[in-house]
Amino acid sequence: MPEVTVEWYVALSVLLFSIGALGVLLRRNAIIVFMSIELMLNAANLLFVAFANHLQDVDGQVLVFFVITVAAAEVAVGLALIVTIFRTKHSINIDEINLMKG
Amino acid sequence: MNAFGLAPLILVFPVIGLLLNGFFGRRFVDADRKTGEKLSGGFASVMALSSFAIAVLMFFSLRSHEFHAEVINLFNWIVVPSAKLQIPWAIQVDTLSVTMMMVVTGVGSLIHIYAIGYMHGDPNFSRFFTYLNLFLFFMLILVTGNNFLMLFVGWEGVGLCSYLLIGFWFDRVDKNGLPMNANAGRKAFVANRVGDLAMILAMILMFWTFGTLEFNTVFQSAVELFEEGHMVHFGLFSATLPAVLTAVTALFLMGAAGKSAQIPLYIWLPDAMAGPTPVSALIHAATMVTSGIYLIVRSNVLFEIVRASGELLFGIVSSADLVAYTGAATALVAGLIAFTQFDIKKVLAYSTVSQLGFMIAAAGMGAYVAAMFHLITHAFFKGLLFLGSGSVIHGMEHGHHHLAHGDDHHDDDFDPQDMRTMGGLRHKMNSTFIVYTIGALALSGIFPLAGFWSKDEILAHGGEHNFAVYLMLTIAAFCTAFYMGRQLQMVFFGKPRHAAAEHAEESSPLMVIPLWILAGLSVVGGFLLNLPFLTESLAEANHNHPTGIFLALEGWLEHSIQAFHLSEEGIVHLPHTPIVFSPMVAGLSTVLAVGALLLAFKLVYRDRPQTADERDPLEKIPFVWKFFAALPFETLFMKGFIPLFNKASHWLGHTLDGTIWHDFVHERVIRDNFVGFASFSADVLDTNGVDGLVNGSAKAVKRLANLIRRSQTGYARNYALSVFLGAVALVVYFVYMAN
Repeated sequence: MPEVTVEWYVALSVLLFSIGALGVLLRRNAIIVFMSIELMLNAANLLFVAFANHLQDVDGQVLVFFVITVAAAEVAVGLALIVTIFRTKHSINIDEINLMKG
Repeated sequence: MNAFGLAPLILVFPVIGLLLNGFFGRRFVDADRKTGEKLSGGFASVMALSSFAIAVLMFFSLRSHEFHAEVINLFNWIVVPSAKLQIPWAIQVDTLSVTMMMVVTGVGSLIHIYAIGYMHGDPNFSRFFTYLNLFLFFMLILVTGNNFLMLFVGWEGVGLCSYLLIGFWFDRVDKNGLPMNANAGRKAFVANRVGDLAMILAMILMFWTFGTLEFNTVFQSAVELFEEGHMVHFGLFSATLPAVLTAVTALFLMGAAGKSAQIPLYIWLPDAMAGPTPVSALIHAATMVTSGIYLIVRSNVLFEIVRASGELLFGIVSSADLVAYTGAATALVAGLIAFTQFDIKKVLAYSTVSQLGFMIAAAGMGAYVAAMFHLITHAFFKGLLFLGSGSVIHGMEHGHHHLAHGDDHHDDDFDPQDMRTMGGLRHKMNSTFIVYTIGALALSGIFPLAGFWSKDEILAHGGEHNFAVYLMLTIAAFCTAFYMGRQLQMVFFGKPRHAAAEHAEESSPLMVIPLWILAGLSVVGGFLLNLPFLTESLAEANHNHPTGIFLALEGWLEHSIQAFHLSEEGIVHLPHTPIVFSPMVAGLSTVLAVGALLLAFKLVYRDRPQTADERDPLEKIPFVWKFFAALPFETLFMKGFIPLFNKASHWLGHTLDGTIWHDFVHERVIRDNFVGFASFSADVLDTNGVDGLVNGSAKAVKRLANLIRRSQTGYARNYALSVFLGAVALVVYFVYMAN
């Protein structure tokens, strides 16, 4: 059983972040896009925690709490937006939402 | 006695007159035509007479003051401390300005009185007198100002009044429906503008050089700087004082050419005859058009310094001599053109141009007193002639009215000013005939009338100092007598050529009395003002007894013409003065004048043609025509002289003056180029250049915006991608480049 070093965490974090980024860029369902964003946030959180452990520094763990808090607030706002959009458009396909087209 | 303090009143009276007439005159006249006209016209005349009284008062004050010039400061007008600019509103009372004041207000008063009769029944009666008083006001500012800027205010003001009065009947249209009077006014205004531009430039130059515009200071420092050999610096280059003064005086000449109707700007004066006849007499004969002469005489020091320095304009001719040549050429050309005119007032108009040429020529030769002398006598007899012609026109109109009412005979084309329709008026209008003859003889220079003395003084100067000028002026004098003889013949002698002439009537006493006064002045004016052969002793007498009663003009004006004193000091070389009466010159010109008059009487019109419409009815009946043709004198005249002269005058009047000068130079060269340049500026420069710049920048912004707006797709993922790419870019930057 090989030792789980910090590189493993970094690799996992990169994987998670990439999945999240691709999800944001490629998926059309707003909920999934939203979840992908959460995935990216948590990839970052994972990295924070991993390095905090590796460097024996509690700062990273503290920062994670902030990120989780902000993410929670963001979810609240974002879900509310999605619900409102769904009520008006009867769809949460983000490609149908292009009111800002120049 | 010293009443200089009253001098400002001379300006106040016309202002009172114009305000009252302007605000209340119309109500008076509309309320009750008869008394209203008397009140309106009478009040204006009384104000003019009051100004005349002040002018006379100034005359006596000067005499008791030993002729020393007096400056009455009223207030500071323009003060710019940083530029050391201080222009006062001050009245200069010296012998020159008082002479002008007396002429302007004296002749002006008579014309005011005459105009009450002449304008009788005009719907705009009070407006006319408002303008006349306004004119007096500006003319008096022009002659009383003690600096060039005040002179210029008056100069512009009289131009305005001239415009207003030429176009007084602005609603009259000619056969083609063009507003001829309004157009004539405009033409005068625009032609004057050219001269005024020169005046402004001259004043700017003068202020740059001397730092002031006051007459006395300018002349004093001009002399001082001239003696020092001062250089005038214009930033990048400098010029000698005479060179600067050459420019100033040449510009003055151009200004005078505009106002005093000299070549090349005389074109407006004949058209100015569209105004009412009293206006022609007052503004376009006696006073306003002489302001150019006043300007040159007033600036005599500058002209004489230029002459003494030998500085040449463009290396050709001294600007002082250029003045003389311009005047002489104008006198000659206008005298010749006057031959061919049929309009009674146009003959007088060209005659005025010609006589102004005499004055300008005299001033240009340094004969300032002769110029002023002719100015005064000309104001008398030309005012008389114009008023006389007004009386004739009035009589003809009266005759025409009589016809129109008497029977159905009515022709709309009837022109009461066309001399071809006149003839035989001496029986119908006896007073007018006598005074007109006096004026014509005075203008022709017949001994001992006023014109003889003044014209001869100019000719004597020319004979002594400038032969070319003398020659031109002598021929011009011959022309003068000829066209006046022709006019007398056509208007007063022979038989009436139109029914209107048969029924013409003498004008009212209100019009005839001023004519008699002016006729009296035309007879004795020259005699009293300046007995040439007595001048020397009188001048002496005046030196010894400055309060003497009898003044020759020479001794009187010498106190204002500083060039005389500079000449005595040897700074400038004025042609010697006083000029000695020259019997040769006087004899020759008298012989010429009498000859021309007789020739005109012999040749022109005699009793033919009989009616106005036919050019020569006898031509239609062959045997009668042959009978006339058999008379050698008539043949010679009709076959030889008339066609030749017609051709020459046609060439001069139509080809040279009309086609070449008016149509080609003025319309083609000046106007078309100006219009071309203006339309180039408006259509090409403005639309493509200025508008293009403004619209182009707007278009560029729009195009750029169109380009950029495509990036705003509205799809969330595109924004997300850009954020992502931005983040990647930042990472790349921090990882690989930040160090």
